[in-house]
Amino acid sequence: MDTSQLLKGVLDLAVLAVLRKDDGYGYDVVRRLRAGGLNEVGDASVYGTLRRLYNAGMLTSYVVPSEEGPHRKYYSINETGRARLAESRETWRSFASTLDGLLEEVAA
Amino acid sequence: MNTQALGVEHYLAGMRAALDDLPPNEVAEIMEDVEAHVAELSTELGPEETIEQRLGSPEQYAQELRQAAGYPSRTERLPVTTKKQVLPRPRAAAWGLVGATGITLLAGAASLREPAVLLLPAVIIVLSLALVHDRGPTQQEIMNLPETVRLKAWLTPEAGTPAERAITYLKSLQPAWWLVRAGLLGLGAVLLAGRDILGFLAIAAIAVVSVFAGPRAKVDRRWLWFSLPASALAVGLLFQVIDVTAGQLGYNASRSSYSPPVMETYDNIYAYDENGKLLTNVLLYDQNGQPINAPRNYNSCDEPGSGPEPVIPANRYPRPQIDYENGRCYTVAPSVTAPSSSPSTTSSAPSSSGSATSSPVSPTSVSPSK
Repeated sequence: MDTSQLLKGVLDLAVLAVLRKDDGYGYDVVRRLRAGGLNEVGDASVYGTLRRLYNAGMLTSYVVPSEEGPHRKYYSINETGRARLAESRETWRSFASTLDGLLEEVAA
Repeated sequence: MNTQALGVEHYLAGMRAALDDLPPNEVAEIMEDVEAHVAELSTELGPEETIEQRLGSPEQYAQELRQAAGYPSRTERLPVTTKKQVLPRPRAAAWGLVGATGITLLAGAASLREPAVLLLPAVIIVLSLALVHDRGPTQQEIMNLPETVRLKAWLTPEAGTPAERAITYLKSLQPAWWLVRAGLLGLGAVLLAGRDILGFLAIAAIAVVSVFAGPRAKVDRRWLWFSLPASALAVGLLFQVIDVTAGQLGYNASRSSYSPPVMETYDNIYAYDENGKLLTNVLLYDQNGQPINAPRNYNSCDEPGSGPEPVIPANRYPRPQIDYENGRCYTVAPSVTAPSSSPSTTSSAPSSSGSATSSPVSPTSVSPSK
């Protein structure tokens, strides 16, 4: 099954999750997601998601100058974002266990 | 490397075109992310790899980003070439910056005499920056103005050409210039310190902030609204310091060859009282009690047999006017030759007849016995 379709619905959750501990700039977030196993995640999708979460007030941003090349805009999760992350995690867990249950029945 | 840099610019231009229906400040925010992304990614590319192979076309990238960000789909497809670049606000802001920098350069040259002239460019700077301050640190709209693009193209000549090497070299001097600029501004502030406390504080503040403004402008172009005029002010101050120094050098040079003006020579002095009456037998002394002696031109009387000169104090005025006639020396009443520019305020200015008759030194022959 094409995981990119699945990813669309949970990319918010994944991005919030990788920003939970450390702030990160766009490409940083892409790398963390890939390092976490989401190999199919598209660069542009991550950048778009960051913009959406930012515009929804779940992330704040700040700029860090870079000696060579353009500066980097770091995103960090705020309280609203953390609340959303906690809430989404519960939703995901119950959804996943529901689906697991369904799949168990199929396998049985 | 340069073709890759070109590829990055091209890719970003495509991105901007594909996003240009979105609100400008949102586009600015997106492009801030994407510029860093594409720049970093381009350093990871293999020798034959292109950005497109990694990210897809700029249009695909933009489309995927739009979907993920929840922006509406591209409404109309505008070819990049026909895109109208009117954008009054960014353009006004850019030209405001250019104008303010120019005025600061001129005003800077006069700022030590009248620091208040700097208020004019300061107002323009504040107004023009206010127009675009909300457009983000990259000021992408201004960078996309045709005039900016041309300037940028002009400032980035082909690699390897002397012009390119010169510009690269000048760029390497930038941090040094920031320090020199702060130094010049500091000097200007010090020169003002004794005369204009407000001007001193303003220029000193500019000097301090300018140290940070240089590097900051590299990452946030809004700092250019400070950094460029600060440079212009520093150059203007430099001109002024050079001007003043050159003026002083010129003054010194002219003084070294300066010879005191030739004292006007006079050989007689006529003193008049308040009624315009010629005073005679006036003895003149200087502050040291030394007699004031006008040069004597009695040589014409040194004819053989005329004997010694009349024995009168050399500082007694008017001196007898000596006339040489028929082989004899005569003293002539001074009134005859009294200066025509004698006190004109008095109606009784020395008239030749009056003073001549009243003068005790009426024509007499210079007698040796006297």
